[in-house]
Amino acid sequence: MNHSPDTNDAVISAVALTKIYPRGREQVRALDNASFDVRRGEFVAITGPSGAGKTTLLNLVGCMDAPTSGILKFLGKPVQDLTERERTRLRRDQIGFVFQHFGLLPTLTVAENVALPAFFAGRQAAGRLDELLAKVGLDHRRDHRPHELSGGEMQRVAIARALINQPPLLLADEPTGNLDRATGESIIALFEQLNREGLTILVATHNVALARAARRQIELGDGRVVVPK
Amino acid sequence: MTWLQLSMKEWQRRPLRTSVTAAGVAIATAALFSLLAFQRGYGNGVRNELDRLGAHVLVVPKGCPYDAASMALHGASWPCYLKEQYLVEVRAVAGVATAAPVFMTAVYDAGSTQTVYVGVETNILALKRGWRIEGNFPTHDGGLLVGSEIAQRNGWKIGQQVSLPGVQDQTGTVAGILAPTQGADDTFIYLQLADAQRIFHHTNELTHILVRLGDPDALDQVVTQLRGCDAGLAMNVVPLAHLFHTIQSLVNSTRVLFGCVALVALLLAGMGVSNTILMAVAERAREIGVMRALGASQGDIFRLIWLETVQVCVSGAMAGVAVAFLASRGVEAWVRSKLPFSPTDALIQWEWWVAAACVVCALVLGSLAGFLPAWRAARVLPMTAIRARGDRV
Repeated sequence: MNHSPDTNDAVISAVALTKIYPRGREQVRALDNASFDVRRGEFVAITGPSGAGKTTLLNLVGCMDAPTSGILKFLGKPVQDLTERERTRLRRDQIGFVFQHFGLLPTLTVAENVALPAFFAGRQAAGRLDELLAKVGLDHRRDHRPHELSGGEMQRVAIARALINQPPLLLADEPTGNLDRATGESIIALFEQLNREGLTILVATHNVALARAARRQIELGDGRVVVPK
Repeated sequence: MTWLQLSMKEWQRRPLRTSVTAAGVAIATAALFSLLAFQRGYGNGVRNELDRLGAHVLVVPKGCPYDAASMALHGASWPCYLKEQYLVEVRAVAGVATAAPVFMTAVYDAGSTQTVYVGVETNILALKRGWRIEGNFPTHDGGLLVGSEIAQRNGWKIGQQVSLPGVQDQTGTVAGILAPTQGADDTFIYLQLADAQRIFHHTNELTHILVRLGDPDALDQVVTQLRGCDAGLAMNVVPLAHLFHTIQSLVNSTRVLFGCVALVALLLAGMGVSNTILMAVAERAREIGVMRALGASQGDIFRLIWLETVQVCVSGAMAGVAVAFLASRGVEAWVRSKLPFSPTDALIQWEWWVAAACVVCALVLGSLAGFLPAWRAARVLPMTAIRARGDRV
């Protein structure tokens, strides 16, 4: 395992992270003693077959779930025992999420979707909204609704939304999973651009091209970190 | 964007389903509004009508007092009569300030138009203190005091000699015209008591006596004395205050029944709203999970779903109040056909507080109906957003 002690530039630091789910009378060990770091400015891909624990890992790192055991630190602070309210605040202010299914609200316009996390945070984000829409090349689509967009455009909106609160970490779950190859490559290029600008990115993917674009890969198998590369 | 605007967006997603749900609330609220408005309108109408009559006690022939009151107030041909000599005994009772004898009948002309003739003496003016007369009260044979509506309908002027509608070979002279009273008097033709008795062949007979007391607080004593006098066995003494309360009690009993129906309808509508929103929450589980993942707190989600529910209920209530008001004439006509006694005033009256009470009621209903779906939505886990398929709540 490639575990290094806490360093000042670690955004994520996981030590012996374990998640056990009950399934009927059985206990499923979805993540087993996983230890790894993600340093500031890194672009890391989590790879592995289906059922390897990628989604569980993203849930834990994204503070959407609590580990059964182990230590998880975010920017040096332990987060495994946070209350639901504290986890919500952390997700809102420190983490941006990109989903495979885009997760756009169909009744909102592009601009309203992008501004949603800022709305939850009670912030005005007009300037940041314009900047992000321009960055993802959708400033001309700001008043359109999701059903009027292509898959690639929807994922760009989701990426802009993930960045509206200026989080230090971007988490993405199969961001190219619902896109054709060409559109997927444009999304990979956008991730690379964002990473070059200093954003830390952790992405769970089966997409070889996306995994290669990442500077580092963490491969999971049966809930364990198999081959840190 | 505000929370209210965000919640209103939901209506766009399933406009038909949301509208049908709101329609359920609208129907229940319309029933509630009609009921409350009717209660106020009916009570005010009966009270105004009795006030316009100007009497504290109505003395009528034996029979149903409600029928008699209805005939005296609205005008009709009476099936039986009082002997005029009873008037002497009524006037002799202590506490009676004015006893105004009345002979009333209704006739129909060839076009089936009803005309009500009311024979009275000058002392009727002691009761009808709200009357404003253009011209004079008739003091000579053949003189007429006509209601504003009938004067306008026939184009009659003061001093004009006219044929009495519905009565063959009888004429009279318009001595005065009543200013509009907004009551049945607007459609009556008043004439001297003796003239009425003669024209309609009921000499020395009356249809009713209007009694005004010197002291209204002495009503019970006066009524007891009237019932105890020699003529008491042959006449029905109806205290109008008691009549009012009896009619109100009867109507209130019916109102309670309809109130229960309206309440049940409202509860069913609330359950319908709750069920619809619960269904919507289940369908939107992943979307709610996305919002949670993006930083919406459990309280935020609760507030959003609760606002959506309240919005459906309040919108439905406002539509229901509007529909009830627009349909009030039709409802009123139907209600009149079912009631044994109804005043000429509007039965269903628009009142802001009634409308506001209905909307507040819907607000409370929406708050209660929204609690369960909002609570369930708030429990959706943020990781629902990342799962491959949207899990049911």
